[in-house]
Amino acid sequence: MSKKVKDQEMSFKFIWTPKNVVMNILKWILIVFFAVYTLFPLIWLVITSLKTNAEYFANPFSLPAVPQWQNFTNAFTQANLGQMIWNSVTVAFVGTILNVVVASMASYAISRFRFRGREIIFAAFSAGIMVPLNALMVPYFTIFSKIGLIDNLMSLRILYASIGLPISMFIIRGFMDAFPVEIEEAAIIDGCGFYGRFFRMILPLVKSGLVTAGTFQFITCWNEFVYANLLTSSPKLKTIQIGIRYFTNQFTTDYVSMYAAIVIAIIPSILIYAIFQKNVITGLTAGAVKG
Amino acid sequence: MKLRKGESLGVILFLAPALLLFVMFFIYPIFNVVGMSFFNWNGITDPVFSGFENYKDIFTDKVFIRSITNNVIWALAACCVQVPLALLMALILSRKPRFWQSFRTIYFLPQVISGIAIAMLWSAVFNSEFGMLNGLLKMLGLGKFATNWLGNPKTAFACVLIYGLFYIGYYMVIMMAGITNIDESYYEAAKVDGASPIQTAMHVTVPLIRYSVHTCITLAAIFGLRTFEQVYLLTNGGPANRTSLVVLYLYNQMRDNNYGGANASSVILIVVGAIVIVSIRKMFKFEED
Repeated sequence: MSKKVKDQEMSFKFIWTPKNVVMNILKWILIVFFAVYTLFPLIWLVITSLKTNAEYFANPFSLPAVPQWQNFTNAFTQANLGQMIWNSVTVAFVGTILNVVVASMASYAISRFRFRGREIIFAAFSAGIMVPLNALMVPYFTIFSKIGLIDNLMSLRILYASIGLPISMFIIRGFMDAFPVEIEEAAIIDGCGFYGRFFRMILPLVKSGLVTAGTFQFITCWNEFVYANLLTSSPKLKTIQIGIRYFTNQFTTDYVSMYAAIVIAIIPSILIYAIFQKNVITGLTAGAVKG
Repeated sequence: MKLRKGESLGVILFLAPALLLFVMFFIYPIFNVVGMSFFNWNGITDPVFSGFENYKDIFTDKVFIRSITNNVIWALAACCVQVPLALLMALILSRKPRFWQSFRTIYFLPQVISGIAIAMLWSAVFNSEFGMLNGLLKMLGLGKFATNWLGNPKTAFACVLIYGLFYIGYYMVIMMAGITNIDESYYEAAKVDGASPIQTAMHVTVPLIRYSVHTCITLAAIFGLRTFEQVYLLTNGGPANRTSLVVLYLYNQMRDNNYGGANASSVILIVVGAIVIVSIRKMFKFEED
């Protein structure tokens, strides 16, 4: 059935009875409440990051007399934010690419071929979504000590790529399953081999699945704090999430620069969300609805 | 597709990296954590077998008991407050009121921002000297209620817990997707029977999206059990361990070189998580399973 018909079925005709009016008002109070609750602190953050400390101390809700853009340059120079952003960028990019490559290869094998243990392997990966990963701090720390990657950004890249595998495989497999096996069989008759079909046929077909999994993974990598905090310690290896927290100790009096740093740290996530919004939302639901 | 000659090697090669990483970072760590929880280990000298001593230690430690209690409260609050609110908003937004897509985008926004940035934002709300909350109270003439929100043992835990409960976007989006998948014929039937929108929501929509609701409740419980960043940043467990959580506890045990104790608390967390997942499944009683 077309989407249009469905929209019509879903909407009930609004009749002006007192009860309906009250319900409508209640509905809009709720809708607006949650929007304000989410947006107000973020808008406040941006405004405050442009104030002077004196203005902030005098009244947390006032507007800046003159926007203090130097708060942002202060944040950059004082906390070496440039280096931290670079660290986060490389960690997130490598962690995402590694994750998507490994996940799409495994998803291809699981989605397209029948072999013993196939569904058991997939079920094990899916169960990985539910593991409380924060409880595995000690073994992760020991593993990376043993292979000599403590205080090395490589440990974060490998770990992020790995812990994101269950979600990414769930998403990518879902996209691959949507294509019938027959289209591949035609390619086989044309003499297209295993690798040729994967690279030239399936990967282009599931491109939006790869983007969805990649977007998810990138945001997760960019935002990760617990293991970045545990596995690195040198100042030059800090990621941006560790960096902004560092402000709380370093400039206990320079609040406005701290707020500027937080703004800098969240801009990339919001940008990526803005660009790939559809992918984020479909990816999330692809994985969760079947659950 | 059946395996063709020469393709098994390809399948094995394609599965190998994922399996290797999965064994290395999921399977091995879980077995390792369980095994090592029976050893005394400071991370430097060789581990010494100690039986259940680590478990005895953590269960007689008031801080651990407080931590696990806090985690359970956290998980319950997420299941009983956050998920129902998300369900309510999912029901409202899936009727497609004006600008519903914009509202969905806004509600989901906190999900893409790091937990640390959000926690720092809320530390600005709760700050005792220049915080928004105290500022607001003073503006409204309620200055006598102003307090050091995160330093006051009476308010600290409530503060770190509550702010996240109203970020409903994640669960709402999951349940909205469930609602989109409902077959229109159910609504036609409800309409023919003269059901009001609220009756339709209660008796048609909610029962039909029970899988999505189940997913959300499970996720909410798991997230509640593994929370760390908010508390680490806002209170670091204080005042007087009032806001401690299991992951923070195990982090501190690790810092004190008591790796055995850290592992034992990890095991408790994993076991509690597994019990919670299974019991939520039981509660929902899916006929098909």
